[in-house]
Amino acid sequence: MDARSKQPVTVSALSKKSMGKRKQLDDAPAPALLPQETLEMLSDEEGADQAVSDDGQVDEFPQIDAESDEEDTDEDDEELFESDDGSENSFDRDIFPRPKTIISDITGQPKRVYPEIEPDYDSDSSTEDTQNRVGDVPMHWYDDLPHIGYDIDGKRVLRPARGDELDKFLETVEDPNSWTSAFDKTAQMDKPLSAQELDIIQRLYANEVPDAGYDPYEPMVEWFTGKGKEEVMPLSAAPEPKRRWVASKWEKQKVMKIVRAIRQGRIVPSKPKTSAKLEVYSIWSEPSSSHPPPLPAPKPRLPTNSESYNPPEEYLPTESEREEWEKQDPEDREREYLPKKYSSLRLVPAYDQFVKERFNRQLDLYMAPRVQRVKLNIDPSTLIPKLPSPQSLKPFPNYKSLKFDHPSRARCLSISPDGAWVVSGDESGVVSLWEVMVGREVKRWKFESKIGAVGWCPRTDVSYFVVALEETIHCIIPPHISASLFQSTKALLAPPTLPPPPETPSPVKWVSSTLTSDGPTLSVHLPPSSGLPKQIAWHRRGDYMATVSGSGLHGGVWMHQITRRHSQAPFKKIRGVVQLVLFHPSKPHFFVATQQYIRIYNLAEQKLLKTLMPGIKWISSMDVHPSGDHLIVGGYDRKLCWFDLELSAKPYKILRYHTRAIRSLAFHPTYPLFASSSDDGAIQIFHSRVYNDLMTDPLIVPLKILRGHAVKDGLGVLDVKWCPRHPWLVSAGADGAASVWCS
Amino acid sequence: MIPTAWSRYQLSQLVNKALSLPKPVPFDFLLRGDILRSSLADWCTQNGVGEEETLEIEYIESVLPPQKMADLPHDEWVSAVSCQLDRCFLTASYDGQLRAFDYSQKQTWSTPVHRAAITSFCIVPNVEACIVATASHDLTAQLTRISPEDSSQASKPLASLHLHTEPVSAISANAAGSQLLTASWDGLVGLWSTEIPDEDEVAEPATVERKKRRKVEENRPKRKAPSLVLKSHTGRVSGVSFSDGDEAYSCGFDSTLRSWDLEHGVCATTITCSERPFLALSVSAAAVLASSTDRTVTQYDLRDPSPNASVTMIHPATPSCLARAQTNSHHLLTGAYDGVARIWDLRSVKTTTPVATFKVWDEKKILSVDWRAGGTVAIGGEGGLGVWKAWENNT
Repeated sequence: MDARSKQPVTVSALSKKSMGKRKQLDDAPAPALLPQETLEMLSDEEGADQAVSDDGQVDEFPQIDAESDEEDTDEDDEELFESDDGSENSFDRDIFPRPKTIISDITGQPKRVYPEIEPDYDSDSSTEDTQNRVGDVPMHWYDDLPHIGYDIDGKRVLRPARGDELDKFLETVEDPNSWTSAFDKTAQMDKPLSAQELDIIQRLYANEVPDAGYDPYEPMVEWFTGKGKEEVMPLSAAPEPKRRWVASKWEKQKVMKIVRAIRQGRIVPSKPKTSAKLEVYSIWSEPSSSHPPPLPAPKPRLPTNSESYNPPEEYLPTESEREEWEKQDPEDREREYLPKKYSSLRLVPAYDQFVKERFNRQLDLYMAPRVQRVKLNIDPSTLIPKLPSPQSLKPFPNYKSLKFDHPSRARCLSISPDGAWVVSGDESGVVSLWEVMVGREVKRWKFESKIGAVGWCPRTDVSYFVVALEETIHCIIPPHISASLFQSTKALLAPPTLPPPPETPSPVKWVSSTLTSDGPTLSVHLPPSSGLPKQIAWHRRGDYMATVSGSGLHGGVWMHQITRRHSQAPFKKIRGVVQLVLFHPSKPHFFVATQQYIRIYNLAEQKLLKTLMPGIKWISSMDVHPSGDHLIVGGYDRKLCWFDLELSAKPYKILRYHTRAIRSLAFHPTYPLFASSSDDGAIQIFHSRVYNDLMTDPLIVPLKILRGHAVKDGLGVLDVKWCPRHPWLVSAGADGAASVWCS
Repeated sequence: MIPTAWSRYQLSQLVNKALSLPKPVPFDFLLRGDILRSSLADWCTQNGVGEEETLEIEYIESVLPPQKMADLPHDEWVSAVSCQLDRCFLTASYDGQLRAFDYSQKQTWSTPVHRAAITSFCIVPNVEACIVATASHDLTAQLTRISPEDSSQASKPLASLHLHTEPVSAISANAAGSQLLTASWDGLVGLWSTEIPDEDEVAEPATVERKKRRKVEENRPKRKAPSLVLKSHTGRVSGVSFSDGDEAYSCGFDSTLRSWDLEHGVCATTITCSERPFLALSVSAAAVLASSTDRTVTQYDLRDPSPNASVTMIHPATPSCLARAQTNSHHLLTGAYDGVARIWDLRSVKTTTPVATFKVWDEKKILSVDWRAGGTVAIGGEGGLGVWKAWENNT
């Protein structure tokens, strides 16, 4: 009974794809072979599974063209069913592995144990990724645990190792599949997306239906209408309304209106169409009105005396003229011919340029534009902007006056406010005090670690400088200062009565050491692990000093007040790594440079004023013009940006003239000069005049490239500073030399 | 009429013959302020002088290349040298010591004068004793009686001069030995008398260690106040000098040269140049020679206060010091930071090349030069003291 019920299903399924075959089957009596074979096969196996597999088989049945005869089709059928047979068997085996019955160790009862599923080629992929059987619980429950859940055996699934941001970045570069992987919450790791998932994503991107199997244009199945399903019976028995057969009065009025208009001649019936016969007309008879009349063709030149076959002697060219004429390009020649003398007309040869000349004349008449072409003769040198000559912008440093040698890489230097002394620090921990003009070291201090920065206090009523070491800042009083100056400096750095400590305890410790006279008088201990301070920036009044450390809390920025012996971190939290800080020369503004941006804060109002975007990958240096309205920023990517702070957040000028990274920048406090030093071992001096008139742009003129520092280990000139009262520059280089450049 | 193909050698022979000198002397020749270095024809074409013109040729005795006599290395840089004393060279160095060397290149005597570096010193002409005035980084100048010939006798500090609040850069005594001038970085010029006072003229700053001071009471120099303070410079005063006629001159980093009226204590003449910070000066009768950081040594005429230099000598490095020849006032010796000393002839105003050049040290700075009558030249600097022989005769 099962077999009989199956038979029509098979037949109809077979015939679904080819309508022609169906007709054959319907019309002709079925051949005896076909049902027998099908029946045979069906009798082999039974059950619901079989029906399902049959249906699947029918879907995959290949298209058969109508011409092929029955025999072939049947054979195809046979083969397909046979192959299907085999696969079904293997499928059966895999799905139902034979369990083993063993005695459980715990309960003592017999239990069935299934063999482990081997993850081989044709194993089910759905078993792989569900290793974590934690279920649909929020995964942040496992945030503090070393594992992320439990597998099917109740063992812990350990958290996979996750790299940091750099690893992620490297993965995106190195692994070609990384961009097609997504974070799997359950496995807590990145899993590559399967081809189907990628296909879904691509379809979503293309605004298509995500399901690949969905066909929006499949033929409509006519369930209720169509041929053979017409409704014969009316839906209601109401009589036909009168309007269905009585002519409309309104329509009659409309028609009569048109009829009346035609009669009165207001509507003219369309003319009969003229035959498509070309009319001949003269195109030259009347000029087109919209265009200006064409220029007349140029007239051929009249012959002159020099073109005569027997010109007077004075028309004949000399030897040098002939050579010059032959040397010139044909376009540059004043005449196309050279006058020649023949004693009689008989001897004149045929004109060799005749064809060429006619051709050119034809071109002139036919194709040449009738416009007088004006050739632009621009001297390229006039396009270069006019800059004043460097000689007129003297004074500026132009030669190396003297050199002071450090035992190792000279990192930083600072010049006293009176411009007489230089203090320079190097990487071996040596701080030297020397004269600007003679270059003789007067005193030397040796510290344990390398010097990060030095800075001379800008106050003139006291005299001391500050040396920044690893986590420590020392204030040192230089020798050879007058007694009154020494007393006031001593009173400032080591006062007899200490100012009251701040209410909130600060992690920064201020320690006065009075033991040695030539050592540091005051030491500021920064919190541990804050690293080497990279920079010291003084406020113009000399009471506040800002330091930038390499690492540590609050971006490493500390602001120290000398008189109150108090340090504070101006920023609770700052985005990015702080590179540099600067005080505005006149306003209570504070510049903070991170790797790519410069933020200007108002310290009095405690708010962000502006963010400058120099477009530099990594900022290395900056300096503010003494007027306070202009800022220059240099980067490790060789760019220098000039900002007009009143103009915009984008640079006014971007200069790129160094061949290596810019290391240091400095504006001269009084002269209109600035200098930049670079890893290419050169210092470049620029004239930078800023006008009070807001309409005039700043004038930037390159003046001089100072070479003389050697490049060592890829590092060139690390720091430049100007002498306050003279156009002299002091530079510190990686070759250990500190040089003075004089005008 | 002489052939234009002639050069210096032929001209020199001609002069020797004309003067009928017993021993041939080499001569150099000046043509319109320019020293002849090639043939006359070459010079004429270079300077655009026609063949028809009459040339006036001046002959001067040539300076032979100087020869090294001694090299006396020091532990410290030598900041000042002097050969005014007989039979010895005095040097002052950055360790605050004065040293004396005799002609046999031996250090005969040395004494510490200052705790800090000595920047400059001069010998105060005195008939009774040898007195030296030193200027130092420790903000004072000091008068010291020394006896370099007699090593047994200790030197005695006589007086310390207290005025300046920044390091003293230069000191100079007048010919009579009665007055001293000091120049300092604080822009002041002090005028002092050389008389040693019996009492302190300036009160000592109150210090805690009174007992210690008592002990050294006898040996302690008297604290001396200036007789006049000359204020006019706006920057560091780098050089100061008396002229032969006891007029005071100073130069400074504010690019000015000033002469002072010592009676009234006011600035008499000012020559203001543009951007030419002066490092040192040397004064003769009416002309002042000053070296500046723009690598020039220039001669100014003080009778004409316009900043037009009559002679400009251009150096390849910073000229730090200069000294005039004692006997021949046309010759000038300059020392520069490249370790090269140069002798210039002030009569050849046009040329930019010195008449003699000698390298004292390689890449070591020269800080001081002095010229002894007779042609011995003492050069002090980074490498110590160098003594050279430069022939110098009167013609």
